[in-house]
Amino acid sequence: MTIEATTPSGERMTLNMGPHHPATHGVLRIVVETDGEVVETCTPDHGYLHRSIEKIGECVEWPLFVPYTDRVDYVCAMNANLAYCIAAEQLLNTSPTTAVTVPQRAECIRVLVAELNRISSHLIAVGAMAMDVGAYTPFLHGIAQREHVNDIFERLCGQRLTYNYVTIGGVAFDLYENAAEQITAFLDAFEPEMVRFNKLITTNTIFRDRCAGVAVVSRDEAIAWGLVGPNLRGSGVDFDLRRDEPYGIYGKLGVRVPVGQAFAGRHGVVGDCYDRYLVRLLEIQESVRLCREVLKILPPPAAKAADPVGGWQADVTKVIKRPPKGEVHCRTEAPRGEMGYFLVSDGTKVPWRVRVRTGSFSAAGIFHKVMRGAFLADVVAIIGSFDVVVPEIDR
Amino acid sequence: MTPASQQATSGAGLGHAVDALAAWLSGTPEPGWFATLVAILVVWIAPMLAVVFPIAALGQIAERKIAAAIQRRHGPNSVGLEGPLRLLFRALLFFLPRAAQDKALARFCALPVVRPVLHMARRLGLGQLVADGVKMLGKEDIVPAGADGLVFRLAPYLALIGSFLPFCVVPFSHHVVMLETPVGALFAIAAAGITVMALKMAGWGSGNKWSLLGGMRAVAQLVSYEIPVGLAVAGVVLWSGTLDLHAIAGQQYHPGFFSLLGWNALQSPFLLLLGAILFFAGLAECQRTPFDMAEAESELVSGFNTEYSGLRWGMFAMAEYTEMLLIGALVATLFLGGYQSPIGEEWIMALPVVLETLVHGAILVAKMLATFLFMMWIRWTLPRLRVDQVMRLCWLQLVPLCLLALFGIALTMLAAGGTTPGVAYGRLPARPRPDLGVLGHLVAWGVPLLLGVLIVRAARRKHGQMHPALRQLTGGGA
Repeated sequence: MTIEATTPSGERMTLNMGPHHPATHGVLRIVVETDGEVVETCTPDHGYLHRSIEKIGECVEWPLFVPYTDRVDYVCAMNANLAYCIAAEQLLNTSPTTAVTVPQRAECIRVLVAELNRISSHLIAVGAMAMDVGAYTPFLHGIAQREHVNDIFERLCGQRLTYNYVTIGGVAFDLYENAAEQITAFLDAFEPEMVRFNKLITTNTIFRDRCAGVAVVSRDEAIAWGLVGPNLRGSGVDFDLRRDEPYGIYGKLGVRVPVGQAFAGRHGVVGDCYDRYLVRLLEIQESVRLCREVLKILPPPAAKAADPVGGWQADVTKVIKRPPKGEVHCRTEAPRGEMGYFLVSDGTKVPWRVRVRTGSFSAAGIFHKVMRGAFLADVVAIIGSFDVVVPEIDR
Repeated sequence: MTPASQQATSGAGLGHAVDALAAWLSGTPEPGWFATLVAILVVWIAPMLAVVFPIAALGQIAERKIAAAIQRRHGPNSVGLEGPLRLLFRALLFFLPRAAQDKALARFCALPVVRPVLHMARRLGLGQLVADGVKMLGKEDIVPAGADGLVFRLAPYLALIGSFLPFCVVPFSHHVVMLETPVGALFAIAAAGITVMALKMAGWGSGNKWSLLGGMRAVAQLVSYEIPVGLAVAGVVLWSGTLDLHAIAGQQYHPGFFSLLGWNALQSPFLLLLGAILFFAGLAECQRTPFDMAEAESELVSGFNTEYSGLRWGMFAMAEYTEMLLIGALVATLFLGGYQSPIGEEWIMALPVVLETLVHGAILVAKMLATFLFMMWIRWTLPRLRVDQVMRLCWLQLVPLCLLALFGIALTMLAAGGTTPGVAYGRLPARPRPDLGVLGHLVAWGVPLLLGVLIVRAARRKHGQMHPALRQLTGGGA
């Protein structure tokens, strides 16, 4: 519950939160003007992690940009890979001569890794939020589970953070031998683990009271400010690209979309920090279900003779050198919300323009609004609830 | 009266233990100044150095190990005592060549008694204590350019004083009380109040806005929480009719096997409630999660001690751990029988003085440690409250609860109608206590407990409805 300062003294203190502050998730800098403990104005100052990723996109060949997409959002690199690759495939599909068909097995693997990465990304989000509110332990329990996902990815592609796994036309490698068993074993162990996690922190009264009614973003505001992903759904907007504009095989899977419903109870308001937090937890559950579904429909690897690349990749080596002229904008649902790639091709092997629109960028736009009148202690909780990853803002 | 206390009556009046020891040392009932000085050093400073200081230091290791256990990590498990041991051997055997020193060290470490100890020390990371200490001593002494130098430097000492001084009045055993004063409880609260000043000075003197915010939060919080602490102590004072901590501890003596039946916390549900309040308000007093407003790592960087490093930071850390122990000691003394054993106190009292003192000391330390570890458990489990919530909890919940409990205690005492004469305990005379009888106890416990359960259930029904999604997330049905 946010309390307005009853006796504004008029004297203000300017605080530099970040770029090195324990709770600003990387190098986010926020200039906060406070009256005592109450925030009067809040100005995010971005650019500390700007690496010109979009400009690099105009300098490297189409497939070579995939590793850079890892760095756009390193917490969910699979989803970032996927977003770019789907956009590039859409571009190729604009002309029948260059059209690619992603093999069914690759589509399944893509969804599998994307959802696993969504789980691990949301684990960071909810864990970090708990840590910002002062509980250190849940974060480590979340990280411990994330490690298992990283183990799976490491066996899959040799990397634990920046995977470079999804490629234009499919995925880089087939699933390893007992991947399905390992993933199922992880999911089986993971679900009771999340129950413990939730008992530890989610239903904790202090945590609920800290988040309930803080930084409320109403339904209309969320739409007006262009929030995306869990931040949008936390405000009660029932919209998820995986269900409403399905790409890949999501259309067949029937994604269930959780939305904010003032989960916190007594002081809860739709669109408060707690709703955003809980929507992520519910999405973790949904991702677990999707992973299981995908494992069920995963087609067996194609016979070597029938398909020289093994059924996990379409051969795009030739067409990607001469893509059709034109532009494409493709939206995908990354853990931090809509990740949109706008690609412009002039028909050469290097993109003419690569533009990324990310969820954290939208979220950072509303900071100054929701933080006015909040307590200083809430500032970190609010940043945590919007789950910003700084390179997504700066790129 | 025991012979010891008879001697004490003729001493310099510095407290029972000092006088007794001085008399024993000099062999006369009129000890000279030297014997008195030695006795003062032993009795006043030894418990500090031998008990509080090491526990507070070990507390850092304990905290790391407990945090690790809660977070399913190993914690410090690689740094053993081999390093310090090598230094020790080098120093002791300085006249030997290096190879011979190493050989002697290797022989020593291979001893069947030493090896498992060293192994255990390494597993517990005990060497970390030495390593951290050396690191802390070796750090550059930084005073920020914008700091108020004197205030900045003075604050850690005040913090240490504020946390160590109250131990003067805590009875460590029947014979080891540094300062036996009729206003012990008051003294403890007042002396602990110095910490407020220390934190404020640290926050102000650092010349850092995060520190300033931390300092301001600390003042608001500590001053507020002194009220529930004071009221909780007042409840015990009301019940026992004395402010003397040693008298309060001794009065909880109960002959027979189940000595804990005499503990204040078990005399009335209101006293039990006050005991819990003292513990939680104490948690706030020593700035521990969920009340660590002043430090609030994720909000205020490190709060009041942001700018402190090296030894000065170490002093703050030491003060924090000492204060945790102090809360443990106060809760134990006021509510949990002090240094008395929960069972068979009668027979412990009958032991020879030295043995009795050691056993009593160990029991009090065990009680302090239990509180200490409980605080750590809380810290690594709970999130932090917000400033306004901390204040609201204090003024709108703890203080009214305290007043209610005080009222309840007064009512119980009135209803009791009479007093038991009480039981004399060692050199402490018998003190009268309210006499409830079996029926009275039944009513005194039954009615408040029943009311409490009803109130909690009503509150649950009104506010405690969890959203179905939450129930499902925690493993319940959707």
